[in-house]
Amino acid sequence: MKKFFSNPTIREGLRILLAISSALVLGFIITLFVSEDPIGAYRAFLTGPFTRFNRFGDWIEESITLILVGLSVAIAFKANMFSLGTQGQLVLGALVSGVIALYVPLPTILRVPLALVCAMVVGFIWGWIPGYLKANLDANEIVSTLMLNTIAIKLYDYLLVFYIKPKDAGYNVSAPFPVEGQLPSFVPNLPFLNKVYTLFTTNTNITIMLYIVVLAVVVAYYLVFKTPFGYKLRMIGSNMKFARYGGIDTKMTTILVFAISGVFGALAGAHMTMAIQHSIITNISVSMAFEGIIVAILARNNPLYIPLTGLAYGYLRAGANIMERSSDVSREMISIIQALIILFVTAERILPTVQRVIEERKEQNATKERSLPAGGSNEH
Amino acid sequence: MAPLVEMRNIVKIYSNGVIANNGIDFQIEKGEIHAIVGENGAGKTTLMKILYGSEQPTSGEILINGEPVIFKNPLDAMKKGVGMVHQNFMQIPSFTAAENVVLGHEPTRGISLDKKKAVEETRKLSEQYGLLVEPEAITETINVGMRQRIEILKILYLGAEILIFDEPTAVLTPQETHDLFKAVRVLIEKGKTIVFITHKLREVTEISDRVTVMRNGKIMGTLKTADATREGLARMMVGREVFLDIHKQPLKRGRKVMSIKDLSYVSETGRTMLRDLSFNLYEGEILGIAGVEGNGQTELVEVLSGLRAPASGSALVGETVITAKTPREVRQAGVAHIPEDRLSNGLSLSASIDDNLIVDRFFKPPFKKGVIIDHKVVEDNGKRLIRQFGILTPNGELPVSSLSGGNMQKVVVAREFSSNPKILIAAQPTRGIDVGATEFIRDQLVQKRTDGTAVLLVSADLSEVMSLSDRIITMFEGQITGVFPEASKVTEEELGYYMLGIKRQTAEEMEALL
Repeated sequence: MKKFFSNPTIREGLRILLAISSALVLGFIITLFVSEDPIGAYRAFLTGPFTRFNRFGDWIEESITLILVGLSVAIAFKANMFSLGTQGQLVLGALVSGVIALYVPLPTILRVPLALVCAMVVGFIWGWIPGYLKANLDANEIVSTLMLNTIAIKLYDYLLVFYIKPKDAGYNVSAPFPVEGQLPSFVPNLPFLNKVYTLFTTNTNITIMLYIVVLAVVVAYYLVFKTPFGYKLRMIGSNMKFARYGGIDTKMTTILVFAISGVFGALAGAHMTMAIQHSIITNISVSMAFEGIIVAILARNNPLYIPLTGLAYGYLRAGANIMERSSDVSREMISIIQALIILFVTAERILPTVQRVIEERKEQNATKERSLPAGGSNEH
Repeated sequence: MAPLVEMRNIVKIYSNGVIANNGIDFQIEKGEIHAIVGENGAGKTTLMKILYGSEQPTSGEILINGEPVIFKNPLDAMKKGVGMVHQNFMQIPSFTAAENVVLGHEPTRGISLDKKKAVEETRKLSEQYGLLVEPEAITETINVGMRQRIEILKILYLGAEILIFDEPTAVLTPQETHDLFKAVRVLIEKGKTIVFITHKLREVTEISDRVTVMRNGKIMGTLKTADATREGLARMMVGREVFLDIHKQPLKRGRKVMSIKDLSYVSETGRTMLRDLSFNLYEGEILGIAGVEGNGQTELVEVLSGLRAPASGSALVGETVITAKTPREVRQAGVAHIPEDRLSNGLSLSASIDDNLIVDRFFKPPFKKGVIIDHKVVEDNGKRLIRQFGILTPNGELPVSSLSGGNMQKVVVAREFSSNPKILIAAQPTRGIDVGATEFIRDQLVQKRTDGTAVLLVSADLSEVMSLSDRIITMFEGQITGVFPEASKVTEEELGYYMLGIKRQTAEEMEALL
């Protein structure tokens, strides 16, 4: 039993579960106050994603996005680069893959890989910019990535409104993608799988991105923990001066960290357009990229834990959407529960400090108790 | 009569389970100079922190003049006359000396600081105790010795009777140390009591009345300094015989392996830190650089290891220019570097010991196999070096931050020595580490010399430079002021004159010897 708990992967898993379940308990207490039917509302929240097949699909689709943005953030954070550029990379990834899905007259088997690869290349380039600025001009990455996000979003909107949107459309939306420009279902359309294929394609948008995301996690894990590049990344993350002293090309490593982080961000964007929306829409990602920060922090920036935290966090979000639709609990309340989770995760980091303070208090009191009798005897 | 301070059965167990003090009985007599010596981690600093209130003991009691006291914080201790002169000065660089002396307890006029009074008080104390300080000088512009005196005045201003010094001479030149000791004697004349923590046994015999030796959280003994010998104290500290004299084989100088020509360096702020330095390194020879810190040694080492680019001049290893190259290129040319600041440059504290041991080789086979790093090879490399260099750790997967100071330095030394360098640059290789590790590292340096490596040794510890080096160069304000081809034939005082630029050899005198 002791051995079971000393396994770091299991401990990490338990830690994440504990943070999330504590937040859920508090969330329920709050629900008790704001809902006429708190149990019904909370049931919708907790079991929602499993009540209908399409809801299950929503959960998995959203989790795939979360895992990809989580990986993007984790790679940068692991190198101690506080990059917030995932948003911009995601938006440009969505734009580029969407344009190819819409306009390039190729069959699925060529169009989809082309769209994905181009999205990744653009993510790489868009990540390169703040990396270059950080490495060579020591530009603060928080500022530069946020500014680049704005540029990316406005560029996206501009191209969508003035060039991509059909002239007669009432909304700022592109024409729907032809079927060749959509990601195919993760179930192959084979005769003996016919039933399963129909079930998934009519109810969900779970596509081959499912396989790509598994591959992405494995690649990210190996990249960070097993390769020479990963060693460089971890060393610049833990002590930049040491890395430089030891002969690591810190500038190039910094740039590549941002660029590779961008690849994953752009893939998330491609997933959102080509798997979920099947068109280029405005405000494609309101806050998704920032949710990536939560996913990454929950996973302690370890790519191996990101599927876990991505699925868990995705489940909460999916459940929250269902609760909003099927009960009297408002969107705001759901945001509060999500905020609570972030709080609990950070609280988990504060805990060691709290423990130390408590112990110091104890020690002080113990000293007093021991010393006082001695002091008393002296007075007599 | 009761001793001035009595600490009874002090036990301190930190929350991580480390027993820093294990049943300590310790007394300080009024008017004495009491030295505390011991290896790093022996518990000296913890004991003193308990005495001046910044740590609370897990059990045990403190009596001052026979009266039990409880210090919850340093202010409590200060009220009873116990003050600490910190090693890292607690001063605000942009304030004047006087403002720093009164910091936290400023004389006021209405709501504003009474600057005139602060200056007066500082001058008065300064004269009374013979601690020369210019009250109106801006702290950041004055030298380390005077900054230390500010620190002393600060606690005298608060009425300290017992002054605790934590390794006061670590940052001082021989001349400044001399001045400090003079001031300490004045303090004693004026009825103060001094406790000082040190690593340097020579200072113990020079100034203290009594000496307490600590090891592993316990007191090994307290003796009158007059009855103590350095060898005896060293034995008590480490529990075994220590050779304070270094045994090395006669010099067998080989080929010239590095030549430095007219090297100059200008700092980011435009100060010329190195001025036309030229010298050579030879196989099998240790060249020591003696100098007061801040006279360009740091810059020299960083230029030679590729961390800074020179303004002009060059350094060559064989025919290869290594200046203005990347640290990787310099390492490839056969230069290894033990950096002066091991915590910020030499190690990644949060990374594992194994990872710290491969920063210069992870990209080469057998570490790199295909596109991945072979974990097994990394682990074996760690195991081998941990064993070979006696790094005290259960395994190589633990972060370096879990090690003691001496063992951290052994990690750096293990990595740099095991890369089989042609040239080894060792900056402050034994600073702030315990006697056992110091002895080990010095032995290893001598071993490298025997093996034919050229060693450039930079150290603030003059006796280290003198006992290890074959040849010594003195540096002052970025220039070479003297070269001494036979290190064993020069005295500390003589070196001191050159280190302070009072004496200089002419270029002609030096030319053949560099």
